[in-house]
Amino acid sequence: MSEMDKEYKILEENFDKECQVVFSSRQLEDLRVKYLGRKSALAQLFSKIPELTLQEKGVWGRQLNILKQKITTVLEEKSRAVKDEEETMDLTFPSYGKEMGSTHVLSAVSESICSILQRLGFVVVEGGEIEDEWHNFAALNIPLEHPSRDVFDTFYLNVKEKNRGKYLLRSHTSPSQIRVMRESKPPMAVISPGRVYRPDEVDATHSFMFHQIEGFAIDKDINFSHLKGVLLHLVQEFFSSDVKLRLRPHFFPFTEPSAEVDISCIICQTPNSELRTKNSGSKCSVCKDKGWLEILGCGMIHPNVLEACEIDSKQYKGFAFGMGVERIAMLKYGINDIRLFYENDVRFLDQFT
Amino acid sequence: MRFSLNFVKEFLEVDVLAKELASLLTMSGIEVEHFQAEGNDWVFDIEVTTNRYDWLSIIGISREIASCLHQKLKIKYPKIKRTRLLKEKKIIIEDRNDCSFYVGSMIKGVTVNSSPSWLSQRVQHCSVNSINNIVDITNYCMLKWGNPLHAFDADKIEGDIYIRRAKTDESFVGIDDKERKLNKDNLVIADNRKVIALAGVIGAKNTEVDERTKNIFLEAAVFSPLTVRRSRRAAGIDTDSSYRFERRVSADYLEYAVGCAVQLIEKVGSGQFMGICAGGSKSSLKNKKITISLSKLNDYLGEIFSNSRVKSILSNLDFDVKEISRDKLTVRAPSFRFDVNREVDVYEEFSRVYGYNNITPSIPFLRNQIQDDQMYKFKNHLRRILPLLGLREIVTVGIDGEQNLTKLEQKKCITIVNPLKQQDNALRTTLLSGMIKSIKHNLNRDQHNVKFFEIANIYFKDKNGYCEEPVLSMGTSGFREDFFRLKGVIEGLLKYLNIEDINFIDKGKPNFTNALRVVSGQKEIGFLGKLDKKIGEAFDLKEEVYFSSLDINFLKKLHKQKKYKSVSAYPIISRDISIALAKTVKFEDVQQIIKEKAAQLLSGVSVVDVYEGADVPKNCSVFTLRIFYQAQDRTLLSSDAAVLHDSVREALAGKDGIDLR
Repeated sequence: MSEMDKEYKILEENFDKECQVVFSSRQLEDLRVKYLGRKSALAQLFSKIPELTLQEKGVWGRQLNILKQKITTVLEEKSRAVKDEEETMDLTFPSYGKEMGSTHVLSAVSESICSILQRLGFVVVEGGEIEDEWHNFAALNIPLEHPSRDVFDTFYLNVKEKNRGKYLLRSHTSPSQIRVMRESKPPMAVISPGRVYRPDEVDATHSFMFHQIEGFAIDKDINFSHLKGVLLHLVQEFFSSDVKLRLRPHFFPFTEPSAEVDISCIICQTPNSELRTKNSGSKCSVCKDKGWLEILGCGMIHPNVLEACEIDSKQYKGFAFGMGVERIAMLKYGINDIRLFYENDVRFLDQFT
Repeated sequence: MRFSLNFVKEFLEVDVLAKELASLLTMSGIEVEHFQAEGNDWVFDIEVTTNRYDWLSIIGISREIASCLHQKLKIKYPKIKRTRLLKEKKIIIEDRNDCSFYVGSMIKGVTVNSSPSWLSQRVQHCSVNSINNIVDITNYCMLKWGNPLHAFDADKIEGDIYIRRAKTDESFVGIDDKERKLNKDNLVIADNRKVIALAGVIGAKNTEVDERTKNIFLEAAVFSPLTVRRSRRAAGIDTDSSYRFERRVSADYLEYAVGCAVQLIEKVGSGQFMGICAGGSKSSLKNKKITISLSKLNDYLGEIFSNSRVKSILSNLDFDVKEISRDKLTVRAPSFRFDVNREVDVYEEFSRVYGYNNITPSIPFLRNQIQDDQMYKFKNHLRRILPLLGLREIVTVGIDGEQNLTKLEQKKCITIVNPLKQQDNALRTTLLSGMIKSIKHNLNRDQHNVKFFEIANIYFKDKNGYCEEPVLSMGTSGFREDFFRLKGVIEGLLKYLNIEDINFIDKGKPNFTNALRVVSGQKEIGFLGKLDKKIGEAFDLKEEVYFSSLDINFLKKLHKQKKYKSVSAYPIISRDISIALAKTVKFEDVQQIIKEKAAQLLSGVSVVDVYEGADVPKNCSVFTLRIFYQAQDRTLLSSDAAVLHDSVREALAGKDGIDLR
């Protein structure tokens, strides 16, 4: 056996052996350098070819090339296997985390109510939160010193008063609607969402700041039946298509007739509501088994209000309604404490992402 | 208010279940909040709206029940012994506007005792405390007829009865033992020497009926709602009497109330009626006639009603109805109805009884002369964008303490005249304090990593009086949050809003370390920064907070419609430069030099590596910039790029504080 034969054999055997113990890309790279690199044993064998006889040159040339091909192929296969191995990982490991934002549930509820109404033809007009007595009370047919004003208890501000009475924080969004009525001409259909303030001591159902959405429509042929139609559409779109509506006679200085509006309890009375829970024999925690939930106030706009806004009450009629956004959000999502809205606990906010 | 079913039965047979009755009343406008059995009686808790004085009495409630049940009331009117005049006392009314009618009755020789059980039960079931037979009788009559009465110990009254305004500095001790200073806004009842009652609100201690009382002077009157309201507000009490006077009391049943009380005192308290004395007059004004049109009523309610239906419903409510034509009726409301003055009030009465729920709903075709509020749209746009940048919206209250606010913001705050709490006495001039509170709430509950935004108004005083402006605030805290992340959020927001030409200027901001002002042209539209440690400590914050505030009015003005710009189809050539930057030079300066030198062929610059290690020179930052060159109209040759790049390198190398590596 020639020297060449021996070296060839050793090379081949060593390669086969060493191949068995390669497990990482790095080891594989070392192996590649060792067997295919410029200084490898194989390169040395190739370098000996010129010294051989013409016949041997042909034989060894072919043989070494076959070996080189074999090593290359084995290394490639090995490389694929190692890479696959290395790619395999514990896919159940947690992700880097989700970076999600959210809108506040009050904004979301308010926006959703506004857009239902916008589709009916209402436009949204916001107004300022600082108002004067005339816009907040007088124009709305609420006399200055009258028991009907007691529910609209108000924060007064130390701002020098002008010709429309003392400045205050609006106690409802109606003054914004008065501004629209005075500044524009009918026909109009407007909703006003926004913050309002009343000096109520804070507890689970009261806050000195809360949000309202009020709406009105004025045209020559607007009537009470329209008011009912709009409200029915609104509650069925917002809550559930099988929610029923009930209007109870009430009194508001700015509407006549006036009504308080209830919906059938979304927990125990509406079959298709997602919130419906199986009746386990105990009292319904939301409606206290009354079957109805009060959600808003409404009525036909009092002619005194139209007249205060210089709208001819003989020609034009209108309806108006107003609701508290917190109340509606609490009913819809089963939130039991109004203070949760303003604490902004991430664990609360996250649920409305 | 509370009423008892047995009390109602004095006027009316009621043979429906309490539950049915509750629902009937609720649907007629007397909302029953709660009802329950009390012995053989039923007690109803109701809400009476401020327009219906007439429902603040058992006779009024009974009338409504009778109308619901289509029955008639059986009223036994007490006899009034108007003929016996009391000579020993005169009634002197100073101003008839304050008191239109006053009737005093003298009953002598009474025995003050506890009430018989039927009487104490009547008042107690209407949630009035039982005191003694005399006081209970006055309350019983008030509840029954709606007219408040007051019994004085006649022997403690010195001289005549005056209904007058209080003198400045006159004082008064009520039967609640509280002393109150009076002034000329208070209407009082006085004798020749002293004040004996705060008219319509509360009697005085000095003439109170007690177990030694022998002779009674019984007061019934009509006081002006406004004076009673002012007095009781100033006195800080709300009594059954003031509650009724404030809502306007009618003189219609006044004499029945008196007659009823006198009879009972004679019977229960074994007294003897001596006579009456009166001042003013019973001005029983009839309500005016209102003409209504059936077609207008139909138009108003959106449903067709028959003439006879309208007539029967109104007549059943004791309205005087006369038909003028097929379309027109004249109606006159009964005198106890102060709330029916215009056609719409009649529509209301009709529809209330007809049933709101019997009117068919329909959808109107709404027309508008106005358009959506653009600011509302823009704020909603912001509310959609910011969550995409990972922020959560918060809502905080707009009222804060003046002390807190002046720590955080120089703007002059608007204070509240009647704050709920002295520490919450002003409108906020910044959204920072609400942000701090919300972040603190979460940190204290082990909720780290918060990224919040709020959209709300701030308020402050200015030369026109006051100013109210919408502001966007953002606040972050947590191990992943830092200044540059917040800066990135702002850049992201500006990108969404398509706002260009915004500069961040490194200029301090009080209460912040490392603050950048966000500037467009000459106008500062907001800032971002890291909250100063001192402020953090003052508010007891345990972690670093990054905060930004942006003026929404400006954002809205700068926000532009997006427009497509063509993207160059030619390749980009990039070249890297490694720079050591001394602290005396800003990154901004480097950027400026590159912009100047590379001009139109510059398509971008980015930091691709930042070195941190032992070989970084002191007071320097070392980083690699990749500069991208591209032409809009041709394939850039590498030689073109090389020329530019060399000039950029040269210019950078020539600047003090910049070392090329």
